[in-house]
Amino acid sequence: METVVSTHGLVKRFGRVTALDELDLEVTRGEVHGFLGPNGAGKSTTIRILLGLARATAGEALLFDRDPWRHAADLHRRVAYVPGDVSLWPNLTGGEAIDLLSRLRGGTTDRAAYATRKQRLLDAFQLDPRKKGRAYSKGNRQKVALVAAFATPADLYLLDEPTSGLDPLMEQVFNREIARVAAEGSTVLLSSHILSEVEELCDRVSIIRAGRLVESGTLAELRHLTRTEVAFVHEPGREHEVAALDGAHDVRIDSGRIRFAVDSDRVAGVLPALGALGVQGLTITPPSLEELFLRHYGDDVAEVDRSGGDGSSADRAGTDSVEARA
Amino acid sequence: MSTLPALLGQRLRRDWLQLVLWIAGIAALGGVAASAVTTTFGDETERAGVLALTATAPAILIFRGTPNGADAGPFAFFLIFAFLALMAGLMSTFLAVRHTRAEEEQGRAELVGATPAGRVLPTVATVVHGVLANAVVGLAVAGAFIAGGFEVAGSLTTGAATAATGVAFLAFGLFAAQLFRTSRAANTCSVAFVLGAYVVRGIGDATGTYSDDGQHVTPSWVSWLSPIGWAQRTEAFAEDDLVPLLLPLGFAVLLVGLVFAFQSVRDQGASVLAGGRGRATAGPVLSSGTGLAWELSRGAIIAWAVGALATGLLATSLTPLIDQIGTEVPAVAQTLEQMNPGGSLGQALTATFFSIVGILAAAAALQVVIRARQEEAHGTAELLLAVPLSRTRWLVGYLVIGALAIAAILVTAALGAVIGAQRADDPAQAAGDAIEAALAQFPAALLFLAIGLVLFVYLPRLTIALSWAALGALAVLGVFGDLLAPPEWMADLSPFTHSPIPIGDDIDWTGGFWMLGLAAAGSVVAVWSMRRRELAPGG
Ligand SMILES: Nc1ncnc2c1ncn2[C@@H]1O[C@H](COP(=O)(O)OP(=O)(O)OP(=O)(O)O)[C@@H](O)[C@H]1O
Ligand SMILES: [Mg+2]
Repeated sequence: METVVSTHGLVKRFGRVTALDELDLEVTRGEVHGFLGPNGAGKSTTIRILLGLARATAGEALLFDRDPWRHAADLHRRVAYVPGDVSLWPNLTGGEAIDLLSRLRGGTTDRAAYATRKQRLLDAFQLDPRKKGRAYSKGNRQKVALVAAFATPADLYLLDEPTSGLDPLMEQVFNREIARVAAEGSTVLLSSHILSEVEELCDRVSIIRAGRLVESGTLAELRHLTRTEVAFVHEPGREHEVAALDGAHDVRIDSGRIRFAVDSDRVAGVLPALGALGVQGLTITPPSLEELFLRHYGDDVAEVDRSGGDGSSADRAGTDSVEARA
Repeated sequence: MSTLPALLGQRLRRDWLQLVLWIAGIAALGGVAASAVTTTFGDETERAGVLALTATAPAILIFRGTPNGADAGPFAFFLIFAFLALMAGLMSTFLAVRHTRAEEEQGRAELVGATPAGRVLPTVATVVHGVLANAVVGLAVAGAFIAGGFEVAGSLTTGAATAATGVAFLAFGLFAAQLFRTSRAANTCSVAFVLGAYVVRGIGDATGTYSDDGQHVTPSWVSWLSPIGWAQRTEAFAEDDLVPLLLPLGFAVLLVGLVFAFQSVRDQGASVLAGGRGRATAGPVLSSGTGLAWELSRGAIIAWAVGALATGLLATSLTPLIDQIGTEVPAVAQTLEQMNPGGSLGQALTATFFSIVGILAAAAALQVVIRARQEEAHGTAELLLAVPLSRTRWLVGYLVIGALAIAAILVTAALGAVIGAQRADDPAQAAGDAIEAALAQFPAALLFLAIGLVLFVYLPRLTIALSWAALGALAVLGVFGDLLAPPEWMADLSPFTHSPIPIGDDIDWTGGFWMLGLAAAGSVVAVWSMRRRELAPGG
């Protein structure tokens, strides 16, 4: 499969701050790739290097197998970009800004087709093109950049938190546009903090932390790394039987229910045993992306808590805890 | 209340270096002018001669002030006060806009406004900050004059007059910040007001009435329209009358009152003059980086061109007056002849006015480069460089528009001069002189454009401050060099010193060609180095 974006050992330092620390990232053609990480992890920095707006300190970054720093203008013919924090020209209207960017991207050669595409997007995003820069609200500034990005077809969309500030209705419109460009075979790199959005849109995700890749794969693959939550109505003594089950962890009793976690790839193996026990009100909750993240983002938090000296997360949540497989 | 000191402290921390430079610059100019009075215009008869010269060609007063006798003190005040007030005015309006509208525009005011400081207290802090800065300016100017051996009372009056005008302009800056939605518009309006005040008082002074001995001028009513004109009425070193300073101070109180009235009713981020709705689609110009650079610089270029047109008009329309002097005051004619051998007095005057046009052209070019930096700091350059537009091509756009700005300024000035020359004895000759004088300014202005570009590429975050500082310092050296009498090497630093002087028949264009070469080399280096330069966001 063709690789559209790849970085190997990418390092970026700002003075003494190391923003990217040997980052390896791979995005293949045609996929919608979620790019996740806590604040300051280096997502925007990576995207700016991929656009040739900043230069790597060390390592390699390639866009369509070419160096974005040296061939920026050429590569940008195939790229659309939405920055995380959109600034507009104070004395240009939104419509003028969209036209300017589209013309520079060469998207207006067929004027009629461009006008149709632009109008469709303006309608879909409910954007008034006649206001000037500062008169737009944050969400509306974001929409100007989105309309400019989607009004001209691109092979690669680099989107840095593109929906920050959009209302839920507009997020739906955005999701439809992503689905459209994905269906047309374009590649999307989408940095985001909105997990439901990533879950809905992305085929693969990469999670970075402190400038390093910590996890990459399809959502299904990542889910395997975490545990599924199982719960049913508590009856006395059950907790010990559950604790004896193969693959069950963290058994606890919480508001009248027994809860425990099962390795996601062993859920099927636990079900017959639960059936034999005749449990009531069974619920099985697959891990949310949220939990996936907290696992990666939360290391520092956990570190702090551990040094505080007390026990497991269950203790902190104030529930009874039974040591599994004692 | 601890909030106000906190806000004030934040302003001082942010501004101290900039203010120290401004204040040191203003005081140094005052000091140098003071010492020039004793060196360049050594004795009283010489000074009386200069004043007599102004009586025959009052237009000279536009750049100076109102004569008040040939004593050293009043003469120094006449020479330099209007310029000191102009500088204090620019310092104050920039300060006012920087801490009010610019903060609102960037959204930082919102962060502060959400604290117990509220919406209004930050403006109070800016007023206090600006008044303090002007008080220091006043003390520094007074100190510079006292150090130059001038009377204490007159020196203090000069300082107080400078500070009071500064405060009036501070209030105007705050007022403009209420009117406009962008700091750019507020700054443009304030700078226009300060320059306008300088020119209006110049016209009032030039149309004033002379006393019988030709050593004193009472300005016409026009000067009463300008805060600088009010402060000149203190007649430092002659009358030392502080009462006229109630006018600039009253003006300031009135405007600050209006500012708080506006601010108490308007929303954060909103302006009194609302921006209208614009066009839904872009015009044909907005199709390239260069087109955008033009669109963003157009307003500023037009403003500078209007100034150039007026300067050009003055440059030649005054020639008939000057030529009279030759016949009426032979001694004066002799002096001017010595200064500009081989040329007519008219040519000398034209050349002097066109050296001002050269500064206007350089300023317009630098403003275009500064727009590029603002684009970068503001984040809009990022949008543009993410499309198929290379960093080099983007910068070349600003180079082109900068050169165009210079050409536009020089052409409008020459046009003004040609129109003004119609009343001269020999209109064709006068117009020809003016066109040569305009051409002579081209190399120095282009060199400034190149300096701006090199600064932008190598020291992006300092571009704005260094560009203006370089222009200010080098313009003072080059144009007021005769007055300040700096060491030769220092005067040689300034491009304006090397501009060809189109007086007499054989003009030496060598300096011009050297500067053209340097400008070309500088531009090439800047554009070439841009290939290896990262985008440097604001901060
Ligand atoms: N121009 C700069 N100068 C200095 N440090 C910088 C600069 N740009 C980024 N950094 C630092 O690099 C690190 C990564 O920043 P980056 O903006 O890439 O994070 P991010 O993942 O996009 O975060 P967020 O989710 O908050 O947008 C941060 O520590 C940041 O402070
Ligand atoms: Mg970011």
